[in-house]
Amino acid sequence: MTGPDTGPSSRHPMTGNRMDPGDETEPSYGTGFETHAYDVVVIGAGGAGLRAAIAAHDAGARVAVVCKSLLGKAHTVMAEGGIAAAMGNVYAEDGWQVHFRDTMRGGKMLNNWRMAQLHAQEAPERVMELEEWGALFDRTPDGLISQRDFGGHRFARLAHVGDRTGLEMIRTLQQRTVALGIDVFMECTVTEIFTDRSGPAPTVTGAFGYWRETGRFVVFEAPSVVLATGGIGKSYQVTSNSWEYTGDGHALALRAGASLINMEFVQFHPTGMVWPPSVRGILVTESVRGDGGVLRNSEGERFMFDYIPEYFKAETADTVEEAEGWYADKKNNRRPPELLPRDEVARAINSEIKAGRGSPHGGVFLDIASRRDADFIRRRLPSMYHQFKELADVDITAEPMEVGPTCHYVMGGVEVDADTERSKVVGLYAAGEVAGGMHGSNRLGGNSLSDLLVFGRRAGHNAAYHAYGAAQDRPRIRDEEVRAAADAALAPFRLEEDGGAENPYTVQKDLQDVMQRLVGIIRKADELTESLAEIGRLKERARHLLVEGHRQYNPGWHLALDLANMLLVSECVATAALAREESRGGHTRDDFPGPDPEWGARNLVLTLEGDAVRLEQQPLPVMPDQLKTLFEDA
Amino acid sequence: MDVTIKILRYNPEVSEDATWESYQVTAEPTDRVLDALHKVKWDLDGSLTFRRSCAHGVCGSDAMRINGKNRLACKTLIKDVNPSKPITVEPIKGLPVLKDLVVDMEPFFDAYRSVMPFLVTTGNEPTRERLQSQADRDRFDDTTKCILCAACTTSCPVYWTDGQYFGPQAIVGAHRFIFDSRDEGTDQRLEILNDKEGVWRCRTTFNCTEACPRGIEVTKAIQEVKRALIFRR
Repeated sequence: MTGPDTGPSSRHPMTGNRMDPGDETEPSYGTGFETHAYDVVVIGAGGAGLRAAIAAHDAGARVAVVCKSLLGKAHTVMAEGGIAAAMGNVYAEDGWQVHFRDTMRGGKMLNNWRMAQLHAQEAPERVMELEEWGALFDRTPDGLISQRDFGGHRFARLAHVGDRTGLEMIRTLQQRTVALGIDVFMECTVTEIFTDRSGPAPTVTGAFGYWRETGRFVVFEAPSVVLATGGIGKSYQVTSNSWEYTGDGHALALRAGASLINMEFVQFHPTGMVWPPSVRGILVTESVRGDGGVLRNSEGERFMFDYIPEYFKAETADTVEEAEGWYADKKNNRRPPELLPRDEVARAINSEIKAGRGSPHGGVFLDIASRRDADFIRRRLPSMYHQFKELADVDITAEPMEVGPTCHYVMGGVEVDADTERSKVVGLYAAGEVAGGMHGSNRLGGNSLSDLLVFGRRAGHNAAYHAYGAAQDRPRIRDEEVRAAADAALAPFRLEEDGGAENPYTVQKDLQDVMQRLVGIIRKADELTESLAEIGRLKERARHLLVEGHRQYNPGWHLALDLANMLLVSECVATAALAREESRGGHTRDDFPGPDPEWGARNLVLTLEGDAVRLEQQPLPVMPDQLKTLFEDA
Repeated sequence: MDVTIKILRYNPEVSEDATWESYQVTAEPTDRVLDALHKVKWDLDGSLTFRRSCAHGVCGSDAMRINGKNRLACKTLIKDVNPSKPITVEPIKGLPVLKDLVVDMEPFFDAYRSVMPFLVTTGNEPTRERLQSQADRDRFDDTTKCILCAACTTSCPVYWTDGQYFGPQAIVGAHRFIFDSRDEGTDQRLEILNDKEGVWRCRTTFNCTEACPRGIEVTKAIQEVKRALIFRR
């Protein structure tokens, strides 16, 4: 059942451990490399990567999944709330048009309309497919998949299992991967995408990486590569993101010749833990608010009523009475302001703290204890209950939580074709958080898990079909490219001999400090200019890293390589943030506080020329009139 | 406060033997053991190697033996492990150590895969979701909370001495499908677990239940699988 066709690979399909060391080939690049040939190589094993691998496998391609961590540990595992899909199980009047409209409005209309449309149309099918593969869901009294309320969504639409939906989703996809016998290269990091540049557009020929365990190099020959590497949050000090989030895919794409869009839009989730310091940034799910939790300042005031923007006035309750009525009667009351999109709530919390009305540890209070009984809280939010009990010694059924904004998600990413997820590089695809466009300037909660499934599947499918077309006469990896990639990967060791003195952990900490302070939730021109100068200095310091030890499982070396990606991506974020002179979604400029319709029609596109980041403006794709009418009816 | 962390270090490139090394770090009582390990790695010895990802008990990467007990470093607060004495940290037992606190997880995943950890169904694919009552769904809720951290399996004395035993996690993984009302592979799965290295090797020492950072009643799940084997026709 689990015995896959390993093809030319002598690696174990799940761990990548050598099963027959004698079988390793030493190709023309010289010694010290192992090579594997696949049709499709998927980088990343979160929701998007695994869904892409399954789709490519189903299309008949030979697929490898390459991931930095063990299988099943990817960031998707941390998603709590649910998968947004207009299935209509709880509200029959829900449909893709409503979901599409919510998504576009949440992203302040900067989304790629076609991606938002495909996402809304295909999400229900993807959820039902997960169920078919065995995923556990909470159920309605009729036995259908239950759906819960979340910020920015007109109807209760998040398919969920308690507050551990991400765990169940990744486990289900992992189980499917095992059942299909897909090759997985675990704890293997990709550092380079190889491209052939002889044609009109760069064309993928393969990828280069190293085993974390042994430090040995791996060459993948493949005409299609799917990037599914997630986000960039580790460049910030206070973040809900795990260590893998170093912007690898963003950087790989840039270096391969692809473009990034929307990089100025970074989502700060309004509710992260603020105390104790060691757990600062860890996420407190939006479901707490969906299930009745409210935000209060140090004066006990439910302050969100003071922060309802004009844009969402029509659909937001402006009195406590109406907001309270909504929980029981959602049809005849408007939504509480605590459930505004994330960017609005995060800015409101930020303002309260700045005005001196924060909680003792620099956050605000999130109170569900006084509003719902203990049994309800423990049943609906078991993970949150345990997280606060164990890490902060706070009983959320008895006392309020202290919460504040935490860097959570990057809306920006690789610019892709909406239908195929192909980047500007032939054979290079991107799906999930590493891709840009879908969420515009701000992502709605629950739209991430559905994004992974919808576009993961599309990317994997199209990558497989591209591989067939590319079959025999495709360009191959050149020997000097492999030698250059190996050389670059070993640079941190060589610099040690040159008398390098920088500790990679110190440089990382300094970068996090710069991004938090100068490119954070509220931005200004002079601070952004300063951040670019700081990043430039950090890049220089990163040339002189001191890495101790050898290649075998050496975390310092791994960080030294990841650091180059973090620095490049941080430069992109700061560059785009400085250029966009307006405030919209996840990008707030103190010096340009309002949205500007002219900026609302433009994307910022970043590319790499040599070592220099280049920025261009590009008009937004125009939505067809038929879809525009959806917004007029509202 | 000043805390001493005593770590069992192992680097096969340097020596065949593992050695205990002590490190002094400053930590808050509410810091976690993971924070102390990070301090060692960032400030004192960059070569210290351990796995971690999400850092709050969801991904299951950082199971290790802390003061002799299997726990997740990211969920263990310093104040709860008697910081007045040195806190000992060593790799989980029963799996080959690769370096420092990193073990080879392959034997563990091998057991995980061997019980067919995926839904088995026959007949046509449904056009919508299958119906499942909240009660049927609750029946196996506990065992779906597993995060594959290996804390249970590597706390099991039978697993330490018998490498062929599936170990508690694999049985938990099978339980999740055996008691799923939608699954039709129960007979095949029970047959796998009826093996002489299967569920019958469990001696109900409850180490696994105590070790599980997710609070899964592991021993109970194993007993339920045994009972299913006895009463099946």
